[in-house]
Order: sequence, then C-alpha cells, then structure tokens
Amino acid sequence: MTRLGPAESTVLNVTILGQVVVNGIGLAAIYILVALGFTLLFGIMRVVNFAHGEFAMLGAFALYHLMKDVDWPWLVALPVGVIGVAAASMVLEWLVFRWFYQRMFESMIGLLGLNMMLMFGAVLIWDVYERNIPAAFTDVLILGDIILPVDRLVVVFIALAALAGFYLFIRHTRAGLAMRATAADVEIAESQGVDTRRTYKIAFFVAILLAALAGALWGQIYAVSPFLGERPLMMAFIVVILGGMGSIPGAALGGVILGFTESFVGTFYGAAASAFLSFAVVILLLIVRPWGILGTPET
Amino acid sequence: MQPRWWTGVFAAALLIGATGAHGQETLKIGGIGPLSGGGTAWGLAAQRGMELAIEDLNAKGGVKAGGKIYKLELVMYDDQYTGQGGKAAAERLVNQDNVKFIIGPVGSPPALGVISVTNPAKVLALTDGYAPQILKNDTPDPYNFRIYNTNIEFGPPLIKWLKENIPQIKKVAMLAPNDAVGQSVAPALAADYKKQGYETELDLFERGTKEFTPLILRMMAQKVDAFEFDGNSPGDAGLMLKQIRQAGFRGHVMQIGGPAIDEIMEIAGPAAEGFLSYDIFDWDTPAGQRLRAAYEKKYGKGIINAFMPAFYHAVLLLTESIRRADSLDTAKVRAALETTDGYDAGVYGPIKWTGKESYGVNRQMMIPYYWSEVKSGKIVKRAKFNP
Amino acid sequence: MAQRRNHYFVLTAVFLLGWPWLTDEKFLHYVGVLICITAIAAASLHLIIRTGHVSLGHAAFMAAGAYVSVLTVMQLGLPWPVGLIAGTAAAALLAAIVGPIVLRLTGKYFVLVTFLFGEMVRMALVVTPALTGGANGIFDVPPPWPFLLSNRAYYYFALVFAVFGVGLCARLLTCEYGRAIDAIRERERLAECSGVPVIRVKVTVFVIACALAGMAGSLQAHFIRYVGPESFSIVQSLNLVVMNVIGGMTSLVGALIGTVFMVTLPELLRGYVNLQQILFGFILFATMAFLPGGIIELGRRLRGFLRARWAGAA
Repeated sequence: MTRLGPAESTVLNVTILGQVVVNGIGLAAIYILVALGFTLLFGIMRVVNFAHGEFAMLGAFALYHLMKDVDWPWLVALPVGVIGVAAASMVLEWLVFRWFYQRMFESMIGLLGLNMMLMFGAVLIWDVYERNIPAAFTDVLILGDIILPVDRLVVVFIALAALAGFYLFIRHTRAGLAMRATAADVEIAESQGVDTRRTYKIAFFVAILLAALAGALWGQIYAVSPFLGERPLMMAFIVVILGGMGSIPGAALGGVILGFTESFVGTFYGAAASAFLSFAVVILLLIVRPWGILGTPET
Repeated sequence: MQPRWWTGVFAAALLIGATGAHGQETLKIGGIGPLSGGGTAWGLAAQRGMELAIEDLNAKGGVKAGGKIYKLELVMYDDQYTGQGGKAAAERLVNQDNVKFIIGPVGSPPALGVISVTNPAKVLALTDGYAPQILKNDTPDPYNFRIYNTNIEFGPPLIKWLKENIPQIKKVAMLAPNDAVGQSVAPALAADYKKQGYETELDLFERGTKEFTPLILRMMAQKVDAFEFDGNSPGDAGLMLKQIRQAGFRGHVMQIGGPAIDEIMEIAGPAAEGFLSYDIFDWDTPAGQRLRAAYEKKYGKGIINAFMPAFYHAVLLLTESIRRADSLDTAKVRAALETTDGYDAGVYGPIKWTGKESYGVNRQMMIPYYWSEVKSGKIVKRAKFNP
Repeated sequence: MAQRRNHYFVLTAVFLLGWPWLTDEKFLHYVGVLICITAIAAASLHLIIRTGHVSLGHAAFMAAGAYVSVLTVMQLGLPWPVGLIAGTAAAALLAAIVGPIVLRLTGKYFVLVTFLFGEMVRMALVVTPALTGGANGIFDVPPPWPFLLSNRAYYYFALVFAVFGVGLCARLLTCEYGRAIDAIRERERLAECSGVPVIRVKVTVFVIACALAGMAGSLQAHFIRYVGPESFSIVQSLNLVVMNVIGGMTSLVGALIGTVFMVTLPELLRGYVNLQQILFGFILFATMAFLPGGIIELGRRLRGFLRARWAGAA
C-alpha cells in the first residue's frame, strides 16, 4: 500500500533534512539547464520547442560516443560534443525551425512532428537499449552524515556557470542586446535595424547548446537512450510554466521550486504525492496566474 | 523473334514458382509485443528472438506437418504495451492475416486483450504477462499457454533461499512504477515476502521517473535492509541500483523479476557489485554462445535482453508441437503442446508444465532458474532451482 | 449547385451503407467502426477549435464517458442505453465544472491546462484500482446487445451515432449559433461588445462537445470490450487534434478527412512502427510549416490549379 503521509521513522532530523536540501539543489540544477534553452526559444522567437528533449538526447549521445568510442576525457568530450551538436543543429534551424518563428500554435504541432522524427530516427540509428556513459566522477563527498556525489556537484557548478555566462552575454554584448530587443518587440526591433534573422540564429545556437549540455549531463547521471528526451522536455515545460515563459530568472526560480518540491515531498510523502502536487500547483498557477511567477502577462 | 521465346521461359518460370512446384508453403506465425513506447526493449527482444529461431528452422528445411513442408514467416505487430493495442494486434493477426499461432505479448494488459480474441477464435497463443487471470479464468475452452516463469512460481522458493542464506535481511524496500507492474506484480511479491516473515515497504512512482534519490532516501530513513526491484524495467532497475549505492546504502540489492542483469551491469557499472538477481539463461553454455553469435551477426553488438532467448525458445516449442501433432489444426497442436513435458529445445534444458494448483490448468511453462550474483564484473550462479 | 450537392450526398450515403457488404474481412469492418467512433470525437473537438480553443485533453472526456458507461453496465447491472446516457451525462457534467474555469484562458495556456487535465484524469484512473481496475483496466466489457458482437453489425450501429453526432456539430455550426462561434474566434472583444455572451457560448459549446466525446467513449468501450487508462491518454487527445489539423481546422469536413487518414494509417503501417512514426512526424511538420489549412487547403489549391489549367487550355 502506498502511504500518502510521512512514514513513521522519517524523522525530521538534521541529517535527513540536510540531505533533502542537497538532493533538491542537485535536481534544481539539471532542471534549470534544461529549461533555459526552452524558455529562450520562446522568449525570442515565440516558438514552443516540443523537440527540445531530442536535442538533449543528441547531446547525451555525442558525449557517449566521444568518451566511449573516441576515448576522449570528459573535460574535452563535453564541450566538443555539445558545441558539435549545436553546430550540426543549425541545419535543422534552416530546414525546420525558421518556418515557425513568431507562429506559436503552428510551432507547437510542427515541432512535435520534429520530435517524433528525431526520436524514432534515433531508434533506427542507436537501437532502444540504455547505455551508460563512462563515469567521469565516481567520488562522493561526505559532509557530516550528508552525502554529496561529486557528479551532482559538477552539474550544480555548470548550471551556475551557465546562468552567469548567459546573464553576461545578454546584458553586455551587442548580440545580447539585439536578442532582448527582439524579445520585447520584433517589429520595432527590426525597424531599428536589428538583423532579426541573425539574432534568431544566434539564439537558436545558444538554446540548443544549453539543451545539449543539459542532455549530456543528464545522460551522465542517468542513462542514454533515444527516449532520453521525454522527461527533460516535461520538466522544462513545468519549470517554464512556473517561472514564466520567456523569463530567464523565471527558469531559475522554476527549477529551484520544482527541484525542492520533488525532493521534499518525494522523501517525506512518497512518489505519488510528489507527482500529484507538482501537477496541482502547475494547474493552479495556469488558472490563476498563467504567465508564471516572474513572467509578464501578454496583452 | 527473340523476345518471344524469352518471355515464354520467363512465364513458365513464374508459373512454376507460383504453383510452388518445389512444394514450399508458408506458415505464418503471429508475434505481438511492444515495439514503441516504454516497453520497446522487450518487444524488440521478442521480435528478434522469433526471427532468429525462424531463420534457423527455415535453414534446416522448415516445419513438416501433415505431409507438407512449410517455410515459416513472422508477422509481428506492435501492441504499444496496452490492453487495447494487444487486442487490436490480435484482431489483425486473426482476422486479416489468418494466423493460427501467436507468440506474445509481453505484458499483462496486452496479454488479456490478446486472449480475449484468440480463445474464441481457437487460435493458439503462447503469451507472457504476469497476471494470474491469463491462465485462471472462466473461458470454457482456452487455447493459451504461458511461456515465461512468473513470480508466482519462482518468488517463494527464491525468497526461501534468501531467508536461509542471508538471514540478516529483515525489512525489504520495493519501488515500482505506477502501472500494471506496480499494481499487481509488486504487491503480489510483497505478499510473498510477508508470508515468509519479512517486513516490506512499497512505494509506487510515476513512469518515466529517472530520479529515485528522494524515494531511496525515504526508504533508507525507514531502516530497510535490502532493496527489491521486482518487475521494474531494465533501465529503471539499473538507475535505481546506481543511485542506491551513490546514496551510501550498504545493504543488499536484489531482483526477483526481470532478469536484466546485463543491462543493469551496463548502467550501474561498479555499483552493480554484489547485486543478486533471478536468472534464467546461461550465456556461457555452447547453446548460449551460439545464440549470442547469431544475434550479434544479425543485429550488431549490444546488450541482449532476457526475453530474446525466451521467444526464440517459444518458436522451437511451437514447431515441435506442430511436428508432433503432424498437423496445423490448432486443437491437435494444443494437445501435442501438452505432451511436451521434459522437451529440451537446446535453450533452457528440459521444460515442465505446471500450474494446476495455482490456475486450475497445467499451462504454465517452467524452466530451471537461478540466483545469480554480480561478482567482480562477472555473473556468477549461486543457486539452481529446478521446476 | 444544389443538384450536385444532392448527388454527392446520395453517393456518400450509398457508399457508407453499402461497402461492408462488398467484403467479408472482419478487420476492415473493425477499421470502419473505429472511423465512425473517432469521427464523433474529432468532429466534437472541431466545435471547440472553432471557438478558438485547442483542447489537448479531449480524450479525457471520452474516458469519463467510457468508464461511467462500463461501470454502470458491469457494476450496477443496468442495460447499455442507461450506460450510454450515464456516460454522456458524466462527460457533460465534467465539462460543465471544468469549462468555466479553463475557457477563460487563452491560446497556449488553454492547451497546457487541458493537457495537464488529461494527465490528471489518467492518473486518477490509475490510482483507483478498486473502482476502475487501475492500470490494468477492465476486461470483458459486454457489448450493448449480443448481436453487436459482429464487427459489421457494430459498424451500422456506430454509423447511426456518427451521423447523429457529426450532424449535430454541422447543424450547430451552420445556424445562428455558429455565427456567434465564428465571431468569438475571430474577434473576441468585438463579439463581446456586440452583445455575444462569450463565456456562455464557449461553455455551452464545450459541454456539448465533451458530451459527444463521452458518447464516443462509451461506444468505443463496448466495442473494444476493454477500457484502461491508456485507452484515452494524451496520445489519443493528440491524435484528435492532429486529425483536425491535418484535415483542416477551418471546416468540419476537415475533421472527417483527418479522421479517416489518422485511423487507417497506423493500421496499414502496423508492421513498420518506426517508419510510421517518422512519416507521421514529417507530415505534422510539413503540414504546419507549409499547409496550415490542412488537406482541405490542399484540395482547394489543387482545384484552383486545375481550374486555371483547364481555363488556360480552353
């Protein structure tokens, strides 16, 4: 029987609480990485990328092959693989994505089609079974009684670096300025001379880079298979709805909320409660404040 | 002038080929399994096992029945791992492809869907699926058999061995997905454990979850001595094991279900050390090595799912029954199938039909099984159980 | 013009009534039944789409109708017509409760909420095994009447309901009400200012559409003779939306064309699942990128093209 309440001996002691917090941070980091690219695509191009998970999957496979077949160390394989996937995906930008910019509804269904093509194409190439990326970090730090797996710490670090890097890019480069202008109002930006086509391409590259990065790390922590993308996509969705579609700080906030909710509720109340609560909160938010906590209502 | 006699020869050749003057008719065998969605690993394993067996048999000349020789052909459909899908696939096989013999599906909901079509149509079905009502039901004249051990058969003896050999385990944690597995198989196994004096903690998670750490922490806080993976998919079980060890758990981890030892080792890496699992096939025997070589030749290198030999074996079992019945009449083949106690297809050793006590009919195939343990990266058999 | 329309009508009727007798293939009858039942669901979804809302949770209302109907017949022992009415009413009730809340949302938010709603319904079905059979579902659902165990008979049975359901949708769209619906979709604020009771119309249409979905659900449950949480999941909801999209969202006929296309394709390609999914994905992408009006738009363009060629050749 599934108990929907705190189990007898899940006592609220410091160790368990500490571990729950640590787990929550680890979860939040991954969710933020996945959601960042997703919200970027929406904010700038008004595209709902239903195929976002598949780019994560490709990033994971890139890392897998570079480490397993080409035998590169993680420190080299990760950036090369991720940048490689983003660069290769520019083909898809030209073939698929550019037909959907500023067309939100069409993008939803059209990119869903892309999602299916990529997923089942991947099945044809890679077969269905799950693979393991050779572990780059097997150590585990122990702080008191609290366990800190190093690979999760690395993800947290990378997520923070990505957020910081992204912030600097958006605020302090011309390309970033162009992106902000385009996100605010496409027509005015164009009339002010912003090359929207180029801006879109840059935004796409960055978004896919983040997705592939998230996917590579996801594959490292969990496992790699053509179906890897489904869950990150779902998580990205929830995070972005919570935080607000198109808002970067929203993605960070949403990731943190989701990560901690899962950790707390899952540990103290079990999996079913955790899933139910996440859903309920999202539905409630959509009804009451659909543009998310940090988003802006669209006029 | 010239085209004319060429066409004559061509037409004659076509005619001869069409009338089958060489005497080879085709016998279609229906296959059903999940070829998309979450169960794809199992469905593909089933398909490949059957394809390999059919290739082998055709290479040896096919199947002989009623004075004719038949070439075998597999017609496989996707059931999407749902009851509806199983039913639709069965309808197609029975009503459109006129198939009389079906092997599969893998899960309980599709299996129940399939037999609701095949039994009234007197089509012989060799299914998997753990639900007892697949064999135990009110159907007056059933034509289905189960070709895979279920935990009703192997659960209690395996637990008994645990009790005798690893007595320090008192409280067992079970995590299962919120689907047919979690709702029937896991509670049944938990009941088996309880019957032998264990305490159990069962928690169900949403399918698709990859992050089990909160649940693992929850279980550890309840001071469990062991984790049991029951009917979890290979991917989930591998991840669970990895995360369990990462969380610092030092107790035992086992699986009375699957088996999926190769996949779990692949995903968990060094964390798989000491993992105990139900096991049914020995890849190191000559038969196992031959099968692996044949598989790798056709499908490339990769992890082979445990369902592959099971479905390979099922085809051999079916064709042996057809041979014994010397007919394609399903009633006769069914009767012949019931005589195959002790038959050794060269895959699992001699089989046995059991189940009268649990289901009322002896339609449950049993093969020898083992407790295996992962020791230093190798799978070591620790105990053998004969049916 | 009316003459030609009548000819089409008669031809279609003759075809629909006659084709099951041209073949004894039980499987083809099976596909026919599915087309009829799915047509009801797709057409009713079309109603909702015409008000400007795309629902990704339509299958959840089919589930409500299906489960309530099945439980009424199997647990309460009542005859099937009662089950049908109970199922339809249950779906309508659910829509009446949920509709006023979610129909206030626009565009993408409505899509997301309906998607989540569908998932919640599925989850609710899974976690209540005592009542609904949980993840395993309910087997051996009885047919409405014993003679309906034949696929061919069920086809005519379903055809009656399909004609009723689709006809109701058509009538709704072509009468006064239909004009209000179109007004709401195109310029909601303007419609409101013109005195159209926007939210009331939307909710009414939503309730009718979901009731029809419930009816379709009951028909399906008693045909397949099985219900499970996976029978009416996001996949089915998505399929219904895709049927509308591919066929063409601007007209009811589009929903019907899309239905025939989407029901027959998987059945034809059942042996080649991977390719089927890739092909399907490509069709989705290509349609949305280049032909958002769907097959209907394709037909229109083709007709225009041919007309131009004939005019040029003449």
